[in-house]
Amino acid sequence: MKLNRRTVLSGLAAGSAVLAAPMVMAQGAPRVVVVGGGAGGATAARYIAKDSGGAVNVTLIEPTRQYYTCFFSNLYLGGVRDMDGLGHGYGTLAADYGINVVHDWAVGVDRDAKTVALASGATVPYDRLILSPGIDFKDGAVPGWDVSAQSAMPHAYKGGSQTELLKAQILAMPEGGRFAMVAPPNPYRCPPGPYERVSMVAHTLKEINPTAKILIVDPKANFSKQALFEEGWQKHYGGMIERIGPDFGGENVSVNPSEMTLDIDGVVEQVDVCNVIPAQKAGEIAHAAGITEGDWAPVNAADMSSKMDEAIHVLGDAAAQGDMPKSGFSANSQAKVCANAVLGALTDSRVFPAKFSNTCWSLIAPEDGVKVGASYEATEEKIASTGGFISETGEDEATRAQTYQESVGWYAAITSDMFG
Amino acid sequence: MRGGVFTALCSGAVTSAQIVLADQSLVHPEIAEIMAIEADADYGAYLASECTACHSPNPQGAIPQIHMLPESYIVGALVDYRIGERQHQVMETIAKRLGEEEIAALAKYFSEVE
Ligand SMILES: Cc1cc2nc3c(=O)[nH]c(=O)nc-3n(C[C@H](O)[C@H](O)[C@H](O)COP(=O)(O)OP(=O)(O)OC[C@H]3O[C@@H](n4cnc5c(N)ncnc54)[C@H](O)[C@@H]3O)c2cc1C
Ligand code: HEC
Repeated sequence: MKLNRRTVLSGLAAGSAVLAAPMVMAQGAPRVVVVGGGAGGATAARYIAKDSGGAVNVTLIEPTRQYYTCFFSNLYLGGVRDMDGLGHGYGTLAADYGINVVHDWAVGVDRDAKTVALASGATVPYDRLILSPGIDFKDGAVPGWDVSAQSAMPHAYKGGSQTELLKAQILAMPEGGRFAMVAPPNPYRCPPGPYERVSMVAHTLKEINPTAKILIVDPKANFSKQALFEEGWQKHYGGMIERIGPDFGGENVSVNPSEMTLDIDGVVEQVDVCNVIPAQKAGEIAHAAGITEGDWAPVNAADMSSKMDEAIHVLGDAAAQGDMPKSGFSANSQAKVCANAVLGALTDSRVFPAKFSNTCWSLIAPEDGVKVGASYEATEEKIASTGGFISETGEDEATRAQTYQESVGWYAAITSDMFG
Repeated sequence: MRGGVFTALCSGAVTSAQIVLADQSLVHPEIAEIMAIEADADYGAYLASECTACHSPNPQGAIPQIHMLPESYIVGALVDYRIGERQHQVMETIAKRLGEEEIAALAKYFSEVE
């Protein structure tokens, strides 16, 4: 490791005992730096710290002090969960797992020097870098919308304040008002997410504003769990939800945030709330690191290493990996395969065959839950599905309630798997 | 749905391991075979990471606790799911991918970890 000037200076400022620290680390434990403390990154950091028993030095870079899950955020919109229950801190990862949690943004990666540059100006060296930055939105995906319009027309596709804003707007809708959603094209985070959201918004409106209407403008001909959602919408919210697919101009939409209008293939619609979920790409830092091809970062399925740099691994939504949907469950599953491989590369621990799974639950109405899932293996080419399952239409209420209760169990388990 | 042939037997006072050894005709012969395999602890810990996405030591909702269950009970349940004797979309998909060595390693791991 090269001691850069900043490290030396900050060491000097704090006294000679601290100055010695970088030297000790240079000869000692290998360094893993994880960028992004979400479903992929928090899990990877925790497993590497836990399974190495202190033999690997783990730094987790995450700007927010409290991570608000996107998963179950639709349930918050439906009044089934509160916002506090969606927030998770990094205290246990720091205190019990010895992870060096740095609340900052990664702004650049120097792949030759193997360092990550932070917004604060600091530089963090790594032997292995794990990027799990989630998604960013593609510029110009929905004409008229950019992030400066996200207060007027929220995406609520990253957790926390955007979700709270969208809910406040729904609660403030005039009687009989209109909620519109501009759904994203494939591939995007959480394939059933927009449609679970419509379900939960419909549930809230049915309670407080039953004459309100929901309009979905969708560039996709088909969507995840479509038969299940459409059956459920008919059953619980008959007549409230209308969807305009690509046949009727759903892929030709622009918005005007100051007027609160949408232009759908030349027809202008006035709405009260407009949830714009734009087309997506890997989080910006993956592009800055130069490991993307198009919108996403291609990876080797066996260890989630970048196809462009074997010292970098990419997890979760940002990765182009093959058959797995972009979900929190997938990111968590990929993180464990990656952690095992990274530990094997940096220490003498055993490496086992990659093995992945995913289940995505969606709530159509309180106690009416459905699920879709699959198992996966690593092939030379990609993460490949080995078979899966999906809930059936016409299931009885007890089955649906049981399915919902499984998702409750999963939420508790995965968040403790991520944050300790 | 809860309980297959084997899991139903386990509710009695006798331990499930005794049942396996005592009456092979009542249970799938695979269970005894798997119980005889020497479990690989490292492999078990790795495989278990797939399960902990859903199975927490502090369970909530409709996902049961599997930490600290008797080893033979876990083997029996996974065999039941694998052969479809016990039906559940998620667990059947997961168990059908597990070989005997994997089941042995997982059962050993979860029977001992808190
Ligand atoms: C409405 C909705 C519902 C969903 N429901 C489900 C569900 O039921 N089940 C499910 O499995 N999945 C669900 N998902 C999907 C799930 O939230 C994502 O797939 C998952 O969070 C992806 O994990 P990740 O690690 O790739 O990214 P994230 O979890 O988004 O984590 C990325 C982290 O990186 C940080 N970051 C970004 N850039 C930088 C940088 N430059 N420097 C430092 N840190 C950075 C961010 O602050 C963030 O904390 C849902 C998503 C949405 C939007
Ligand atoms: C996607 C969530 C999920 C994952 C992942 C998962 N399980 Fe399960 N598991 C469940 C659910 C739900 C049940 C209850 C099923 C039922 O009612 O039969 C269950 C039941 C079980 C049971 C029966 C418990 C009892 O009380 O009878 C065992 C044993 C078990 N799982 C083991 C495992 C193992 C081992 C793994 C990892 C290889 C695993 N599970 C992964 C959701 C999961």
